[in-house]
Amino acid sequence: MSIPENLVIVGGGLAGFSMAQELRKRGFGGAITIVDPEGLPYDRPPLSKEYLDGRQPADKLPFSDESWFTENNVTLVTDTVTAIDPDTLEVSLASGTTLPADEVVLATGGHARSLPIPGGDLPGLRYLRTKADADALREVLVPGKHLAIIGAGLIGAEVASTAVHAGAEVTLIDPVPIPGVAGMGETIALHLHKLHEAHGVHTLVAQTTAFAERDGKFVVEVDGGPDEGGTEVVADAVLVAIGIIPDIHLARDMGLDMDRGVLVDESQRTSHPKVYAIGDIARLRHADGTLGVRHEHWESATHSGQTAAAALLGQDLPVHPAPWMWTDRYGLHVEAVGTMREEGELVVRYRDGVPAIAVMLAGDGHVLGAAAIDGGNAIRAIRRMIDRGIIPDREKLADPTVDLKKLAR
Amino acid sequence: MAEPIKVGAAGDIEDEEALIVPADTAGWDDDIAVFFSDGKYYALNDTCSHEDASLGDGWIEGDEVECPIHSAKFSLCTGAALCLPASHPVRTHKVEIRNDEIWLYVGVPADGQEG
Repeated sequence: MSIPENLVIVGGGLAGFSMAQELRKRGFGGAITIVDPEGLPYDRPPLSKEYLDGRQPADKLPFSDESWFTENNVTLVTDTVTAIDPDTLEVSLASGTTLPADEVVLATGGHARSLPIPGGDLPGLRYLRTKADADALREVLVPGKHLAIIGAGLIGAEVASTAVHAGAEVTLIDPVPIPGVAGMGETIALHLHKLHEAHGVHTLVAQTTAFAERDGKFVVEVDGGPDEGGTEVVADAVLVAIGIIPDIHLARDMGLDMDRGVLVDESQRTSHPKVYAIGDIARLRHADGTLGVRHEHWESATHSGQTAAAALLGQDLPVHPAPWMWTDRYGLHVEAVGTMREEGELVVRYRDGVPAIAVMLAGDGHVLGAAAIDGGNAIRAIRRMIDRGIIPDREKLADPTVDLKKLAR
Repeated sequence: MAEPIKVGAAGDIEDEEALIVPADTAGWDDDIAVFFSDGKYYALNDTCSHEDASLGDGWIEGDEVECPIHSAKFSLCTGAALCLPASHPVRTHKVEIRNDEIWLYVGVPADGQEG
């Protein structure tokens, strides 16, 4: 293989920026161009938390300031890619210009999913994906305003916490009684979900069936609305937070292999030998043809960019630790590692009668995953157990007086 | 700032643990975390350069510390930010063991560092 001279990264989110950073760290000397309609790459997790509530100023959102791009000879083009020629790899931009490339990285991320229900396309409905979305949402997070949030997943739960703290009235609607079980296990997920009501958020276990506008307000009909035995919520604003749809149209137009995501091998390479896909859009196809899940978490995005950088340079692929995520709500910092989806035995440590750490053990005692509230080092200890195949002593694992870091040695 | 301050005795800090010297005690604009890992001592400004979190409470392994909140990693030797979400280094301070006592040179970069 030859190392490219001209690399175009389509998308300046975490994955795209991480790849550019990693390429320079690894000594790549070719030209790097990042194309993104939003310009300077910035971090998205604060958009539902500290940036949304105003604690974090806008100038702290970018990963680096413009001087980094100059110093590292990375060209930032504020534009939208409209097409990539699969034969020449020429990249066409909305402005009408084109960029030459001898390898291309797709890091296009996704956009917020809308609800396919009557009124689901109302222009006033809000979504949260970009800085501009957060800026607009912040205006309704004030006393006297009522925000209805559809979806009590990570984004919905974080915004509910931020909004009620800012003095707004909040109704959080989700058809699932305990959201987050797949990511955090039932014990931690249930405890966290109960915090919504404890902090004054109204929670509604219901299916949203229609949106409408009435007298300058939004009406959210749930379970069919009042005429069909359901009810309605009247709010000043509605946030739809039910996940993302990966932006894969460029890959589709290029004829790349797809299956609810752009299929990549373990080096993030797509079915086109000179095109990589990283971040939210990428889905691993194993050597035997079976498909992995499309990861949408922060750290997996940065890892995928690092892997693609190594692959592009023909270097050994980095070995990444077990997948990890965090979420913040009501002043609590929650982390999870590994997987909590698989059937296993849940070992829970309590702190003052409240679940603090939940660890999922496989039948043979191996650690599958864990979730913790304000227990970052516990999660890092569990991560080490997973990565090194350490089987912890079952009784010590459950004993809150035993330091997990010592168990991980 | 050349006068070192005594912050403890050797053995006060367990392996892969840290001791926090409050800003007031250090006479510095941030708390200072003094780390002990793999038989060596290090000191860094305690506050993560990404967000308000204590590196002394972080995950210490080898010559790195990982922020307990968002997992930004820093070199204990140089203070360099090793991965996102941190982009900026944290300041190092020189630590010396004399007569089994831990002495911290507040504001003096660790050997070989420009601070």
